[in-house]
Amino acid sequence: MNSIEEKLWNYIDGTCSPAEEQAIRNLIAADEVYQRKYQEILALQKELETMELDVPPMAFTYNVMEAIRTEEAQKPLKATIDGRIIKGIAAFFLITIAALVVIALYSSNWSAGSYSGIKLANHVSADISLVTGYTGPAFKAFLFFDVVLALFLFDSYLRKKPVIRQM
Amino acid sequence: MQNKFSDIELIEQTLAGDQSAYADLIKRHQRFVFTLAMRFTKNREDAEEVAQDCFVKAYRNLSGFGGQSKFSTWLYTIVYTTSMTFLRKRRLDTSSIDDEHNAIQLESKPGSMENNLAERKSQSYYVNQAIAQLLPDDAMIITLFYKGEQSLEEIAATLGMEANNVKVKLFRARQRLKERLEHNLKHETKELI
Repeated sequence: MNSIEEKLWNYIDGTCSPAEEQAIRNLIAADEVYQRKYQEILALQKELETMELDVPPMAFTYNVMEAIRTEEAQKPLKATIDGRIIKGIAAFFLITIAALVVIALYSSNWSAGSYSGIKLANHVSADISLVTGYTGPAFKAFLFFDVVLALFLFDSYLRKKPVIRQM
Repeated sequence: MQNKFSDIELIEQTLAGDQSAYADLIKRHQRFVFTLAMRFTKNREDAEEVAQDCFVKAYRNLSGFGGQSKFSTWLYTIVYTTSMTFLRKRRLDTSSIDDEHNAIQLESKPGSMENNLAERKSQSYYVNQAIAQLLPDDAMIITLFYKGEQSLEEIAATLGMEANNVKVKLFRARQRLKERLEHNLKHETKELI
């Protein structure tokens, strides 16, 4: 059973059925207690409808935007670099290495089977130098960079694996 | 200028990289978000911190806003959860209706309350004072219903409860507010109500 107040709030909010609405309207008109309570609640309702909102400081919007800008700036570089760029660079080096190996193997003289491993390596290296025009130290630096990059990519791949498993 | 675009249009512009659109969105909702934060924190400094945190969180998750509900409903959910987290962290004393000794902080009101007798006498002052003394949940429901242009269903979505429960809670909150007002005003109640 609803109290008088509950009925009146429902009536004011418009959440009661048409039959209930009519019944409450009749009670307000006929019953003095209902009439008094209704006036009280109606006055409070008007106060609540016209109450003012609090005003934030003048610089509030600026402060929020500054906080957002700071957060954006603090995002790690890794997150802002497009992964496709990294993959593109990796693909370039892998293709270059593959091409060098193929050229070296293609230009090697395989009929001289009595060469030792060192001699073969020297021969291949010389052939690559001839074909690409790289000098010794520059070529070694290039290969060293490739090895480091390959290790870095391999490390990234291994790090990703456990994450995928966890998901 | 602020009303030129709808919330959804401003969100689309923000997601396209226009940060000034988000600034417009903040300007549109800041007073209400700040008021809701005030209902929980009871002081301006903390309310500002909570409100700012809400807008930053909303920006961060803006791409996750699906548009199934109003942006304001989605935003108020963030305000509610952020404020609750804030209360848990700070273990604020939330004043109960019978707590006589709890100091009322209404520093948010423009102008000095203590020195402005005319304002002290205003009905709006007493209503705000009584709301500030309610439990945060009660104060939030009343504010959402009367100033947030939120239906019972939307409030239910914000608070994560059934619409019928919200209706009951709203009734109880208004009753407690009425009692608080009567208690605060004593003789002046008759003048107000």
